[in-house]
Amino acid sequence: MHDSPVKFSIKGLDLWYGKTQALKKIDVDIGEKSVTALIGPSGCGKSTFLRTLNRMNDLIDGVRIEGSVLYEDADIFAPGTDVIDLRKRVGMVFQKPNPFPMSVYDNVAYGPRVHGVKDKAALDEIVERSLKQAALWEEVQGRLRSSALGLSGGQQQRLCIARVLAVEPDVVLMDEPTSALDPISTAKIETLLDELKRRYTIIIVTHNMQQAGRISDKTAFFLMGDLVEYSDTKELFFNPRDERTENYISGRFG
Amino acid sequence: MTTRIQFNEELGRLHHDILTMGARVEEDLTKALLALKTGDVALAKEVKAGDELVNAMQLKIEDQAAKLIATQQPVARDLRELVTVFKITDNLERIGDHAVHLAKAARRLSEDPYPRSLERLERMAAVDLAMVHEAVAAYLEHDEARARAAAARDDEVDAEHKAFVQEVLAYLAENPGKAQQATKLIATSSFLERLGDHVTNLCEAVVFMLTGAHTELNE
Repeated sequence: MHDSPVKFSIKGLDLWYGKTQALKKIDVDIGEKSVTALIGPSGCGKSTFLRTLNRMNDLIDGVRIEGSVLYEDADIFAPGTDVIDLRKRVGMVFQKPNPFPMSVYDNVAYGPRVHGVKDKAALDEIVERSLKQAALWEEVQGRLRSSALGLSGGQQQRLCIARVLAVEPDVVLMDEPTSALDPISTAKIETLLDELKRRYTIIIVTHNMQQAGRISDKTAFFLMGDLVEYSDTKELFFNPRDERTENYISGRFG
Repeated sequence: MTTRIQFNEELGRLHHDILTMGARVEEDLTKALLALKTGDVALAKEVKAGDELVNAMQLKIEDQAAKLIATQQPVARDLRELVTVFKITDNLERIGDHAVHLAKAARRLSEDPYPRSLERLERMAAVDLAMVHEAVAAYLEHDEARARAAAARDDEVDAEHKAFVQEVLAYLAENPGKAQQATKLIATSSFLERLGDHVTNLCEAVVFMLTGAHTELNE
C-alpha cells in the first residue's frame, strides 16, 4: 500500500491522568485521506489517544501531556494554538448518537451558524451537501423540519456525521461510532467511511475487530498505554508482528 | 485465563480428524507398498476401499473448517491455520489417489512380473510414507523444522525415480517386446515421484501457516 502524506505526526507522546500514565512514548505518523483504526482492550489508551488529537483531553482535570502532536507540521500544544479552530478542523463523532433536541436541519446548520454563516441559501446548500455526504439526504429530505430525535439510531449517527462535515473539517475522529447500531446501520456507516476517506482523514476507535479489518487502511494496537503495533491492516490481521497483537485479535487475551 | 474455549475445542476436533485422515492415507500407502512387494491382490482392493473413505473425510474436514471460519471469524494464525486445512486435505487426498495407482500397478505386475529389482520403487514408496507421516505430524505439532526436514527428503525420491527410469529404459532396450510393461513401470515410478511433490506442498502449507511467508521448500 502506498503511504499517503502525513497528516498527524506524533512523537514521544506521554499522557498522565493524575499519577496514572495512560499513554507511554507514543510515536506514530497518520496518513491523510485514509482510515486508521485504533484497537485494544478497554483502558488501553486508544480513546485517550483519539481525544488528544483535537485536545478534547484539555477538558479533563489533572491531565498532563508531554511530547509533541504535529498537525500539518504545527504542534497543537504550542502556546497560541486556536483550540476552537483545531476542533473545527479535527471534528469528532461519538459512540452514542447525540443529536441536539432540534430539527434535522438545525442540527446540521448549528456549526456553520456558530461560525457565522447566516445566509439562508448558503445554509440550505451546506445542509444538503452535508446530509448527502453522510448518506442521509435521501432518507430525510422530506422531514428536514422534524425533530432529529425522531430518527432511528443509525440515522441519528449519520446526522451527527453530517453535523461534523457541515463545518468542513479536515480530519474526522470517531469513537466507536457504530457500537450502538444494528448491523444494517453499521454497514451503511462503514460504506460511508469508504466514501469519506477520499476527502477526509478518518481515525476511528473500534472494539469490533472485523470492522477494523473491513474499513481501515492501517491499524494501531494499543495495550496498557503502549502502542504495540502499527501496520497495514491486512498485514496486522493476517500476520501480526507482535505476539501480543496476535493474542488480542485472536481473542486469546490474558 | 483461557478464552475462546469453544474455538479451541472445535480446532482440536479438526486436528483429530486430520490426524485420522493422515493415518488412513499412510495405511493405504503401506498396504500398496506391501502389495508391490508381495503381489497380494487382495491388499490392492483394500487400498481402493480405503481411498473412498479418505475422499469422504476430506469433504467432512473441509466443511468443518468452512463452518469454523463462518462462525468464529478467526484472524492471524488461527485464520492461516484454517486456510491451510484446505491445502492439507487436498494434498492428502491426492496422495491417497497415488496409493491407489501404486496398488493397481502392484496387481498388474503380479500378472506380468518384472524380472529385475523393484527395490527402487519400494524405497521411493517407503520414503514417501515416512514423509507423509512427518508432514502431518509437523502440522499437528506446529513444527516448522519438522516440515522442512520432511520436504527435504523429496530429493531422495527424485533421485530414485531418475535412476529407476534409466534402469527400465535399459531393460526395454534389451527387451523391445516389453514396451507396455516398461511404460507401466515408469508411470508407477512417476506416481511415486508426484506423491513426494504433494508432501512437499503440504509442508510448504505448514510453513506458511506458522510464519505467514510463502516458501518454496524444494525447487
